[in-house]
Amino acid sequence: MNRHYLILSGLVVLGILYPQAFPGYLSVAITLLLFAGWATAWDILGGWAGQVSLGHASFVGLGGYFVAVGASQYGIAPWWAVAMALVAAAVLAYLWGRLTFKLTGPYFTLSTIAIAEILRLVAINEGWLTGGATGVFIMSLPEPFGLDLFARQTNYYLALAFAALTVLTVIAMSRNKFGYQLRAVREDEDSAMASGINPTTVKLKAFMLSGALTALGGGIYAIFLSFLEPHVIFYLLLSVQIALTAIIGGRGTIWGPCVGALLVVGSGEVFRTTFAEANMLIYGLLIMLVVMFLPRGIVGEPARYLIRRAYAKRAQS
Amino acid sequence: MPSALKADGITVQFGGVVAVDNVSLDVQQGTILGLIGPNGAGKTTLFNALTGFVPLKAGRIALHGQDVTHLAPHARVRAGMGRTFQTERPFEELTLLENVLVAAFLREPKRRHAEQLAMQVLEQVGLADRHDQPALDLNLARRRRLELAKALAVQPRVLFLDEMMAGLNPPALKEMIGFVRELAAQDLTIVMVEHIMEAIIELSDHVIVMANGHVITEGLPREVIEDPRVITAYLGED
Ligand SMILES: Nc1ncnc2c1ncn2[C@@H]1O[C@H](COP(=O)(O)OP(=O)(O)O)[C@@H](O)[C@H]1O
Ligand SMILES: [Mg+2]
Repeated sequence: MNRHYLILSGLVVLGILYPQAFPGYLSVAITLLLFAGWATAWDILGGWAGQVSLGHASFVGLGGYFVAVGASQYGIAPWWAVAMALVAAAVLAYLWGRLTFKLTGPYFTLSTIAIAEILRLVAINEGWLTGGATGVFIMSLPEPFGLDLFARQTNYYLALAFAALTVLTVIAMSRNKFGYQLRAVREDEDSAMASGINPTTVKLKAFMLSGALTALGGGIYAIFLSFLEPHVIFYLLLSVQIALTAIIGGRGTIWGPCVGALLVVGSGEVFRTTFAEANMLIYGLLIMLVVMFLPRGIVGEPARYLIRRAYAKRAQS
Repeated sequence: MPSALKADGITVQFGGVVAVDNVSLDVQQGTILGLIGPNGAGKTTLFNALTGFVPLKAGRIALHGQDVTHLAPHARVRAGMGRTFQTERPFEELTLLENVLVAAFLREPKRRHAEQLAMQVLEQVGLADRHDQPALDLNLARRRRLELAKALAVQPRVLFLDEMMAGLNPPALKEMIGFVRELAAQDLTIVMVEHIMEAIIELSDHVIVMANGHVITEGLPREVIEDPRVITAYLGED
């Protein structure tokens, strides 16, 4: 068995025990787990397929709004709302990819910014559905098996399951055909085509999977917040934070986005209380430092060094 | 003998420049076609046109009787074409095995089977003992062999080799000639662009000579090389 599965199992066990050990720190742990999951999902497109998106807040918002509007307006249970959100996210990713994958490099990235902007405008203008600029409250939710979905502890376990699912997906993907197709397309599209790979199809699949998983986290986020505002959820800052988390940790690595979440959310807590408005400045500095000194991220850089050193050693002997 | 690759009136234009002008060819299954000509003659462009990497202005291409003129490059690979690039293009972040695995997945979707196929191909080109080395650190001769392995792992019926021999030292050259001969013996059809005359003479069943986008002559390797038009085309280059 792959050692990554073992590491994940270990972390999940720790995660299950965490609320007993630190019952007072659930909210920050939920944020951390959501970011770990979002960054991991983002990385399927941004790291593994090499298509940097600055629009993933769209998928968070889509998941969130389906759950919130479903619950408040139509009495749809959150699991059905999430299921619909996953489909909607995949469709959105498909359409957006069809339109923009012809654009290369930074142009694709720039175009993704528009996705969240458009959805934000829709959320603001279609008030009959979304509550408009004031947002939407989740007043009540069903209680499956007597479970209070609003309880912090429930939120926590949902977030844990979400983060674990995304990492599990990436571990499985990293070894299979799809994972190799993604890496090939990222490195060299012509060479990938010479291996019989259709780069557009592969990138579309990555975008759809990435978007759907992100929306799943968005649904959990909505329950955690129990209140959604378009300005907050379809916000460029959220997209940037998700991307940064993965980039700082290490794009295209299994654990990089999780390590990134630990750093970004952890330091974010410190920065927010210590630096208040300078928050964004610190983010900016952080990404500059990583890009300058660790272009492959905190996990990517040493991993690569170790692989090459191990090989060089063996080649000598 | 059945025709493996048939191209009619291939024409490629870049802006105002006609890089390939009305070139036709017909390659029999299991034979080797050598494509020679001075630099800038249009050999690589013809290659790219046949494999789908540049759009045609005119012409038709059939692979084992199947019209592939309008297929995308990856679809032509699926239909049975394999190609190398003149400047090798390994996936540098991946190991040798993974590089070949990417291609092997085309015919073997299961990891275990794809890995078996990839190892088999690496053995064929003599890189098996280095399979877990990162592709980044390879020397030229090994990069070429990896490029060949990647092209073979898609299990092509027609293989396109673009200057696989250029810059190799004599032992590596001999080895590469050996690989190609072995492949043709296994009934693979090969189209190769080559500057090294030794390789062309030893390997080709038929040679096409290009200059300025045109075919200036074709025939058996020995005949073609002594053709005064070919000598002029090459000397005129300097
Ligand atoms: N992508 C391109 N855009 C414009 N001109 C090109 C391109 N590729 C090749 N050419 C031109 O087409 C001609 C043929 O080039 P090429 O096929 O590379 O020749 P060869 O492989 O025989 O050396 C040259 O004049 C070259 O400058
Ligand atoms: Mg050339």
